[in-house]
Amino acid sequence: MARGLVVIPAFDEADNIAEVLRQTRERAGEFDVVVIDDASRDATSEVARAGGATVVRHPFNMGYGAALQTGYRHALHHGYDVVVQLDADGQHDPASVSELAAPILAGELDVVLGSRFHPGSTYRMQGLRRIGSRWFSTLVRWLTGLRISDPTTGYQALAPDVLRVYTSDAFPTDYPDADMTVLLHRNRYRIGEIAVTMRERPEVPSMHHGIGVVYYVYKMTLAIFMNAIRPRLPGR
Amino acid sequence: MEPASLDAATIKAILQGQSITLSTRVVAIVAAGLLFGGVLECVRRRKLLEEFTPIWMTCALGILALAISFDVLIWLTDLVGAWTPSSTVFFFGLAFLMAISLGYAIRLSTLSSQVKILAQELALMQAERAQPRPRSDVHP
Repeated sequence: MARGLVVIPAFDEADNIAEVLRQTRERAGEFDVVVIDDASRDATSEVARAGGATVVRHPFNMGYGAALQTGYRHALHHGYDVVVQLDADGQHDPASVSELAAPILAGELDVVLGSRFHPGSTYRMQGLRRIGSRWFSTLVRWLTGLRISDPTTGYQALAPDVLRVYTSDAFPTDYPDADMTVLLHRNRYRIGEIAVTMRERPEVPSMHHGIGVVYYVYKMTLAIFMNAIRPRLPGR
Repeated sequence: MEPASLDAATIKAILQGQSITLSTRVVAIVAAGLLFGGVLECVRRRKLLEEFTPIWMTCALGILALAISFDVLIWLTDLVGAWTPSSTVFFFGLAFLMAISLGYAIRLSTLSSQVKILAQELALMQAERAQPRPRSDVHP
């Protein structure tokens, strides 16, 4: 029987993680769950353990990408057949976990992106974030020909082959995003997208704010172009 | 015949009134292009992380801007109280290198601290693994 793992990177999410784990158990009970605590200053680890998750805690804060990568290493180490990554702030509805994992388990795709803007999705992004997402979407389409409606989504399912790429130096430890979609496409991995349910949480501050937004757009644009012109990975 | 004497203000005005030569402009533009291309190539080869590029890209753009618009350099020279545009370039070059050094020193300090924590965590884990099991866990 295929084994699936839900990876939840978390930083200072003690207030939200219990509910996310409860919903994950309820709506994706057949999946194991690992919470990667990126050196939270609150009781995220304790709450996650009490919620029944396996917890891996970083000795110091290393960023969102590094936390995800620790989860991928955990999945490879334990031989999972599919990994679904889920944010700890409650934005992603775990009801879509099985749906995201299905094309991977069927061997049809290597990466499935959970889109907030796909026809059928009710999520609405406003202002600069919407413009940024459209910019990256346009870049991805221009460089790869892929029509990805939500290239910056953090709700994804990954096949073990992709995990091997994501645990290499090719994976950024700050903001893995649309640049990885370009890298995977360049290396002939099969990428798909499905509509998922997402909740808007305006009270939660974004990872990118202030001058960080400018840096994020600059860094991501550069990384997208670089991944488009880098040589293919060995064996691809 | 006595040589004509010039006061400091006149000398300053003469020095700041100099214009950039075509060869200097070309050298500056080429230098900016090489820096820009070199940084991109290092990123492409994964020798340099994207997060370290903004300062070098800004530097390349700064050189390019000054080469194209010499008036900006004259304005900056006047602003910092220098006498010659070349002094201004050296002044900002030195300030840039000092800022880079300080940035790397801060980063090095963070990394030193993180390596120490990792070593301590590893030592504790090894000690836990090497410890004999408690008596209650040993089956008769």
